[in-house]
Amino acid sequence: MTTHDSASSPLEPELDVPLGEDEGELPPDAASALDIIRAQRSAVRDAAEPDTRLLLAAWGVAWLVGNLLLFATARGTEPATPAGWAFAIYFVLLGGAVAVTITNVVQRSRGVVGPSGLSGSMFGWAWTIGFVGVYLIMTGLMRAGADPVLVNLGWSSLSCLLVGVMYLAGGAMWQTPVLYALGAWIVLVGGAATLAGLPGSFLVMALAGGGGLLVGALVMHSRYYRGAR
Amino acid sequence: MTEAELDPVIHSQARLRVVAALAQFAPGDRIAFTKLQQVLNMTPGNLSTHLRKLEDAGYVEAVKSFQGRTPVTHLSLTARGRLAFEDYAAALTKILGGSS
Repeated sequence: MTTHDSASSPLEPELDVPLGEDEGELPPDAASALDIIRAQRSAVRDAAEPDTRLLLAAWGVAWLVGNLLLFATARGTEPATPAGWAFAIYFVLLGGAVAVTITNVVQRSRGVVGPSGLSGSMFGWAWTIGFVGVYLIMTGLMRAGADPVLVNLGWSSLSCLLVGVMYLAGGAMWQTPVLYALGAWIVLVGGAATLAGLPGSFLVMALAGGGGLLVGALVMHSRYYRGAR
Repeated sequence: MTEAELDPVIHSQARLRVVAALAQFAPGDRIAFTKLQQVLNMTPGNLSTHLRKLEDAGYVEAVKSFQGRTPVTHLSLTARGRLAFEDYAAALTKILGGSS
């Protein structure tokens, strides 16, 4: 049930304190009043916006380490086939990045309701929907008889394309140039990884893809204390 | 423009923090009391005192609801409150521009 409060009814009446308790605390001057406004900007960002640095770092580590393992174990085999344990570690790392992302986003968006929460959750679902699409396409290609090399290239390139385009969309939606640039980069990485063939594709994904995400995290971090997006 | 002419409802350290924090959220977003308290690091009593003043001035709207059996208050700036904050921030810039 939701009721609109009239202006005269007190908020949290049980915690009431007398009015005028710190009425004397005026901002010392106009400059410090502006500082107070700036400080609230960072306080809200830290409490209510997902920490892009953390998310990019988690995904960057997963891509870098996972694909390096795939590359190392596939090198020298013919046709290039990564070891099963390398795939297992990669999936654990990806699962970890998913967990970090969901935890951070849920924690930061808790307690805020309204239009920005709605667009945030639509954006979140777009990832899930996109990856369901990738999964269905890959399943279809495998059923149609795609060989293992094609399947490996397909997973990497389609995933890169989806991640890159989602970053482009996120960058556009939240006016975050760094995220937008990173999206463009990841789309190109997807193309380059496919052109490189196996096992070079894994190395491109690790260094240019994972490395790119980590550089993105560092750039976001360097802008963090300047309050830039 | 002098500091004496600044909107007295906003021109207090605590209320300026409340209004500036609420202004960071998109129009239409509502923020739970506990979340706002966490952002501002204020005691519940202190925060509700200032929120009531802002509500009385028509700058802040409080909506009460229940999450299960727990009452929750969500807060947002009214259009009038957002305008007052923008005017206040513009006035500050003007004062600083004039004095330097």
